[in-house]
Amino acid sequence: MKSRLNVIDNSGAVVAECIKVLKNAKWAEVGDEIVVAVKKARPISEAMSSSMSAAKIRKGDVRRAVIVRTKKEIRRPDGRYVRFDDNACVLLNNQQQPLGSRILGLVSAELRFKNWVKVVSLAPRVV
Amino acid sequence: MKLEVCSFTGYKVYPSRGRTFIRGDGKTFHFLDSKTESLFHQNKNPRKLAWTPIFRKIHRKGISEEVAKKRTRRNVKYSRAIVGLSLDAINARRNEKPEVRSAARAEAVAKLKAARKEEAAKKKAARAAAAPQGASQRVSKQQARGAPTKVKATTR
Repeated sequence: MKSRLNVIDNSGAVVAECIKVLKNAKWAEVGDEIVVAVKKARPISEAMSSSMSAAKIRKGDVRRAVIVRTKKEIRRPDGRYVRFDDNACVLLNNQQQPLGSRILGLVSAELRFKNWVKVVSLAPRVV
Repeated sequence: MKLEVCSFTGYKVYPSRGRTFIRGDGKTFHFLDSKTESLFHQNKNPRKLAWTPIFRKIHRKGISEEVAKKRTRRNVKYSRAIVGLSLDAINARRNEKPEVRSAARAEAVAKLKAARKEEAAKKKAARAAAAPQGASQRVSKQQARGAPTKVKATTR
């Protein structure tokens, strides 16, 4: 069983499972890209399909994502160690652009340093 | 360098010490060490843990001397009447002008002197009356006992 993350954008997915870390390392941190399989998605009603983004996320979809919060503490340059309450990600398309149009909740400030500009700008709060 | 304050105890947290926890609602908590962090997650109340500064402040431990000193009352002075002098009389005397007081004093002194003079005059009169009867020369105690009179020294 692989790590499960909460999906905090409005793409329709709710829970995603990490199936691959897209860097030459054993684990991914905040700001790293991963491949996820969607384990839980919000039901898509036909009436809403037009207003939402073109890509309809269903359960079982394999997508890319970027990690935005981890329960494992991350080291900040001033020496602090920061950790969040859960693991969360934002789904991406193949051009590394976020699939959803809004992000709900916090994202870590690490994203700024790892050049996820679009995600940071969408986020309501960056801590 | 930013000094954080431990959310559980209130101690200062220097950089690279302790951890920071960001809750789902965005509230940030700083912890001094794993002990405080663990207690926080167990939902312990620092106000009930005897070693925390919050507890000590609430129960006023260790600062009792300072508090006692600062709370000493000031004595209130107020005038009271005495037996023999009413409050008015006391106030009248207290508020007397210095000239009035010195004039009164001079008067009293003059009175006293006059009285003394009178007494002295009286005494002299009494002595003068008694003198022609008794011996005019003074007799020392030893002479009275029968010793020869002392020769008065002229040298030295």
